[in-house]
Amino acid sequence: MFGRKRKQATETAVGGKLPMSLGKAIEEIVRRYKRRDALHFEGKAISYQELDENANRVATGLASLGIQRGDRVALMLPNIPDFAYSFLGIQKLGAVAVPFNTMYKGREISFILQDSGAKAIICLSNFANLINELRDECPELNHVIVTGQRTLVFLDPDATVNVQLVFEKSRFAEPDEAMKALGAVFVKTFDKLGVPDPWYKHQGAVRVGGRKIATILLSEIENLYIGNIVTFLSDMDSEPLFKVLYVPPEIKDKALEPLTSISTESGKDVTLDQFKEALSLALSEDLGIEIETGELTRDEMIAYEKNIALANRI
Amino acid sequence: MEKWRLIYNPEGSTADVVAHGAAVAEGRIAGKYQLSTTVVPDTVIVQQSTTRGIIAGADVKVDKAAAASAEIAVAQAPRQGRNSARAVSTTPLSEIMAQGSRKFDAVDVEPDDPAVLLYTSGTTGNPKGVTLTHRNFHFQSLTVVPSMVPFTPDDIVVGVLPLYHVYGLSNGLIATLMFGASFALVPQYSPQALLDAVADYKATIMPAIPSMYQHLLTIARARPAKMPKTLRYCVSGGAPLPLNVLREFTTVFGAEISEGYGLTETASSVSCNVSGEGYKEGSIGKAAAGVEMAVLNDEGSELERGEVGEIVIRSETVSPGYWNNEEATKAQFQDDGWFRTGDLGYQDEDGVFFITDRKKDLIIRGGFNISPREVEEVIMQHPKVQEAAVIAAKDKRGEDTVKAFIVTKDGEEVTEREIADHCTDTMAPYKRPRVIEFVDVLPKSATGKVLRTELRGETVDRRLVERGEK
Repeated sequence: MFGRKRKQATETAVGGKLPMSLGKAIEEIVRRYKRRDALHFEGKAISYQELDENANRVATGLASLGIQRGDRVALMLPNIPDFAYSFLGIQKLGAVAVPFNTMYKGREISFILQDSGAKAIICLSNFANLINELRDECPELNHVIVTGQRTLVFLDPDATVNVQLVFEKSRFAEPDEAMKALGAVFVKTFDKLGVPDPWYKHQGAVRVGGRKIATILLSEIENLYIGNIVTFLSDMDSEPLFKVLYVPPEIKDKALEPLTSISTESGKDVTLDQFKEALSLALSEDLGIEIETGELTRDEMIAYEKNIALANRI
Repeated sequence: MEKWRLIYNPEGSTADVVAHGAAVAEGRIAGKYQLSTTVVPDTVIVQQSTTRGIIAGADVKVDKAAAASAEIAVAQAPRQGRNSARAVSTTPLSEIMAQGSRKFDAVDVEPDDPAVLLYTSGTTGNPKGVTLTHRNFHFQSLTVVPSMVPFTPDDIVVGVLPLYHVYGLSNGLIATLMFGASFALVPQYSPQALLDAVADYKATIMPAIPSMYQHLLTIARARPAKMPKTLRYCVSGGAPLPLNVLREFTTVFGAEISEGYGLTETASSVSCNVSGEGYKEGSIGKAAAGVEMAVLNDEGSELERGEVGEIVIRSETVSPGYWNNEEATKAQFQDDGWFRTGDLGYQDEDGVFFITDRKKDLIIRGGFNISPREVEEVIMQHPKVQEAAVIAAKDKRGEDTVKAFIVTKDGEEVTEREIADHCTDTMAPYKRPRVIEFVDVLPKSATGKVLRTELRGETVDRRLVERGEK
C-alpha cells in the first residue's frame, strides 16, 4: 500500500536496511564516521564519537531516573549541543522525544506535558520556574532536568524591583514549604499595596488574573535558600530590550510572558519605599520576622566587590 | 521576635542586583565554615536600578555595542558550577550525564513505535500531538530527502531552523546525521548570526524560511562582494518564497533555492519545486520519491488535472495519526492510507502541484468561493505594499466578507481607496476587500506562516496561567 514509487535510497551507512530505529541508525553512522565532525557550535567541532558518548550519557542518566522505552521526555531547548545529545539519548533509550517551542508559556506548556504524559522534561535552567509553576497540573512529570545558562533579566529603572531573600534552610521542612511561604508573603505584600486578588499557585509566580506580577525563583546552596524575586511597580517598557536582543518583529509579543504591574492593577502609583514597607509588614505578619535596616558586613563588602568585578567582566 | 536584616538599595546598578545577593550568600556560607567571625543574620535585599540593564547568564551572547548605544548596562550572572546555587526541585543535566555511562547500546524498538511527538496548533482548541515513528524518519531521511537535496558526508548544514519544529528537526538535524554530514548549530536567530554561521563554518547546505532569505538579502545589498559563496544548496519551506527573492539570492550567493512542501504529519517534506529547468513559479513541485500525492473532491474521488480540491498524501513518511486523539485521527487519516492535508490545490498537466489555500481559510460570499491567497497576491502587486493577509470577517448580516490586513513598505503611505481601486482594476468586484486594516506586522508562526486564526481573533491567549482550584 505504501510508496509505490519508492526509489533506492542514496548510499549511506544505513541505506538499504529499511526501516531502522533512529537509535540503531545513529550507532551505524557513528561506527562509520566516528572521527568526522557531527556538530559545530560556537567555533568548536564535536565529532560523531563525542556526540554518541554524550547521547549515551543522557540515555543512561535518564535510565537512572527511571525513564524507560516508550516513556515520553519533553524537550524545551534552543539549538545547542544539549538538544542533540538529549534527542539522541532519548532515541537510544527507545523513549519518545516531545520537543516544543521554547517561546511557549503557561497553558501551552501545561497542555503538552499533560497530553503527552511526559515523565521528564529537559529544559534551559531559566525555564525551571515556568515549568515548576505547572507541576501540580502535570502529575506524571517527575523530573525537571535543567541545562544552559541563558537567563536574561531585563531591568527597567521605572518598573523593575529586585528582591532577594537569603535564609537558613532549616526554617522549613522542605523546599515546597519554603516556596509556599514566599508566595504567601508576596501575595500579602501586593494585597497591602491595593492589588486586587493576587494569587499564588505553586511555584514560580504571583499572578493577577492570568498575568504575572512577580517571578519567584527559589534556589538552594549548602545550608541556604536564596529567593530571587522580580516584580514591577509600573508596566515595563520592553522595547529597548529588543534593540539588544534580536527578535523577529512578528513574534515579539510572544517572546515575553504576559506581565502586569502593581500600579496597573491597583490603579495608583506606588513607590519603592511603599513597596519596601509593605514587604516588611508582610514578612512580620506571615513569618513573625522583625525587619531592621542594615548594611553589608566588612567580609560581605569584600565578596560584593569581587562579585561586582565578575558581573562587569562581560 | 526573630530579626532579619534589610539591605535597601533604591539607587543601585545592574551589577548591584547580582553582587549583593551573591555577597550575602557567600558571607553566610563562609560563616558556616567559621572562616568569618561575624554572624550574619537572614537577610532580605530590595533593590532598584537607576539605569536600564540586562542580567545575562554566562551562555547569553549580548550585543555589547548595541547595548552601549541603547544605554543598557549589561551584568553577567555568576557562572554556575557544581557547587553553586541551583533551582529547587530540578536536576542538572550535567549531573545525570556525569553519573551516566559513555557506552550504551541502543534499545531495540519496533519500526512503528513512536520516536517523536510534535504538537501542532490547530485553528481552534488544543494543539494536536502528531505521532512520528522511526519508520517515518528513516523513510523521510533516506528516500524523500535525497530525491530533493543531494546530501554528502562532506556537507556542512546550517542549523538555524528551530529543532522543535518538524522542518528543522527532520530535514535539518536528522537528515544531516543520517548522511554523516555536519550540523552547525545557531542557538539564537538574527540575520547577522545566520550570515556569520554560513561564513564561519563555510556552510554548503541551508534549510531556511522565506523571511531569512529576505533578511540575508537586506544585508547583502549593502555589501554584496563580501557575501560567502560556499552555499551550494538551499531549501525554503514553511511559507511561499517570493520569486524576486529567489532570483536575487541565487545571483548574490551563487546558490539555488528549492522550495519544499510538507507538514508535521508527513515528517516534513513530501514535494519540492526544484530550482533550475523544471522550476515552476508558485508551485510546490512534484511528489518526491516514495510519496504519492493526489487531489480529491469532498466525496473522496480523484479530480482531473487542473481542478481544485484537497491535496492528499500517501507514503511511509506519513504519521500513523494524532496522539491520544482518535477523533482527529479519523477525520484526517483515511483507511485507504490517504492523509488529508487540509490544503486546497491542483495538479497541472505535468503533474506539478499548486497550493491555493487552506481549506478552512476559504471565504464564501454570496455562494461564491473566494481564495484569500488570490486576493493577497493582487494586493501585494501594489507598489507600496510590503505584505498582505486576507481573511473572512463577518458583516452585519453575519455573512462572510473579505477583510485585508496590509503592511506598507517602509516610509510609504497608501489609502484604502487606492487599494480598493487597485483590486477592482484586476479582479472580479465581489473579491475586493470590504474592510482594510493597516498594521505594522502580521502575526506569524515560528516558520513564518501568517497566523490567520490570530487575525480572525479566534485565538485565546494560551500563555496565561489558570488559577484552577484554590
